[in-house]
Amino acid sequence: MNASSTLKYRTVIQRIFLIFLLSCSFYSALFADGKIEQPLVTSTREEAIQYVDNIKSLAPSVFWPKIKPDLFLQNLKLNVHDPLSIYPGRATNFCGYGALTYLMLQDDPLGYAKLLVQLYTDGKAQFGKVNFNPSDAIRAAAGGLRFKGVLDIHPAEQMWFLCLADHFKGYLNFFNNRYDLGDENTFWASVNFAKFNRMVRKLLNYDVNARGSDMIRPSVGNTYDYITEKLKTGTVVLFENNRILHKKKLEKIKLAIPTHFIVLQSLSKKDDKITMVYWDYGGRTSLELDSDFLKRIIFGISHCTKKGINE
Amino acid sequence: MNNLIRHTSWVVLAIFLSSCSAKNISSSYYFEHKDQVEKIEESYKAIYKRSPFTLAFADRQFRIVTLDILTDSMSYIYEFEVDEPRLNDTLLKYHLPVTGVNTLIHDMLAIRCTWVNNFDYYVDEKKRSTIFLSIKPTVSHPFLSDKRYYILTFFNQPQYFDEQGRLVDKRKAKRIRKINGEIFHRITDKVCYTVSSQFR
Repeated sequence: MNASSTLKYRTVIQRIFLIFLLSCSFYSALFADGKIEQPLVTSTREEAIQYVDNIKSLAPSVFWPKIKPDLFLQNLKLNVHDPLSIYPGRATNFCGYGALTYLMLQDDPLGYAKLLVQLYTDGKAQFGKVNFNPSDAIRAAAGGLRFKGVLDIHPAEQMWFLCLADHFKGYLNFFNNRYDLGDENTFWASVNFAKFNRMVRKLLNYDVNARGSDMIRPSVGNTYDYITEKLKTGTVVLFENNRILHKKKLEKIKLAIPTHFIVLQSLSKKDDKITMVYWDYGGRTSLELDSDFLKRIIFGISHCTKKGINE
Repeated sequence: MNNLIRHTSWVVLAIFLSSCSAKNISSSYYFEHKDQVEKIEESYKAIYKRSPFTLAFADRQFRIVTLDILTDSMSYIYEFEVDEPRLNDTLLKYHLPVTGVNTLIHDMLAIRCTWVNNFDYYVDEKKRSTIFLSIKPTVSHPFLSDKRYYILTFFNQPQYFDEQGRLVDKRKAKRIRKINGEIFHRITDKVCYTVSSQFR
């Protein structure tokens, strides 16, 4: 084969590849416009309340030996009636799963309730395209986690957080991807920014526009203005450096890495002071901070909008 | 020869410092500062009953104090300089005793207490609580250890301990009770300690 025919073949291959890319982008644009993909029908809080309140009792599950049925049902009802009550536990790495669950209870509370009941009764469950088939170690542990604050008496949340951590994996879980007792406090349960956004996209009826990363702060200009704008059109989850926000050590050198997910409720400014109201750990918190501090603590901004709603 | 003596003394000093068990220091710390820590615990408990809150120092110089006020619907986090007038306005707003909280802050400052908090825990599905005091002592700590905070817990009921004096879950079930991820050791039936790398 001479040089000119090699060049010709290369050009043909390049053109085919270009046509392939163009058709891919055309189809993805079609999907993004919602012309092919129909927005999923999600549920209301009332439907979920009606569903859980109609469950009068549950039989003990052979799949979850440590879960007490009455406590499980009580916990599930609490989550549905009061989504703020979701508590990822003290000293655990469940905060990302907690934020995801909080969003899920806003987006599809009935789906959440049915999923948890199915997981409890069948030991496995399908939700959309996600198949939850928890490992034996998870089934043996759920309901038995202790010394985590109110999570101790919330077996439904224990089961759910463990199932999420067991199913979804990111690079932080690479060296510890099989559960051993106590791993809820280790890298086994960690959630990096990309993993969080992937979980939201797979489980919820949300489009996610994510800015930022695990190492570098988002380049969004004025952080306050950017987040305020995003709050107008959807739900905002922040991946922030909790070592600065809630100091645990009085150290000279502080690592600039994000460690915590919070669901933002509101952001307002008065006389250079910003008041941020957010959800984490079973309740709302109001915090006063300045613009520089806000910029310093935020590493990831996930803007979640209902599918089918264009910005 | 002089150099040899000097080097040897440095090595001996280093070994001495690294062999001082922080656990032993923190156990005796309680008895040496019993009146001060108990005063902090008692006044915090009394004020907490009126309105739940926590206090922490946010800087190494102990100049900035963080006040978390817990209400039914929201927790509010504020930072103030010690003795800043703005602090008193906030205390009044949330019906906290101005003199009581300011005295508590100064008592904490006197023994470098970094955090005072009320911890909830559960025994047989029943809620219990303990007061949690973190202290950043001035004494040197083992060279390579990052465990720099003495933590004291004050329980309302006598606790169970194993033969090594570690706090356990129940009398028969010998499951070690970890609080905030730490194993605690007995000082008295109701008071335990640990040494931790973080104060909360």
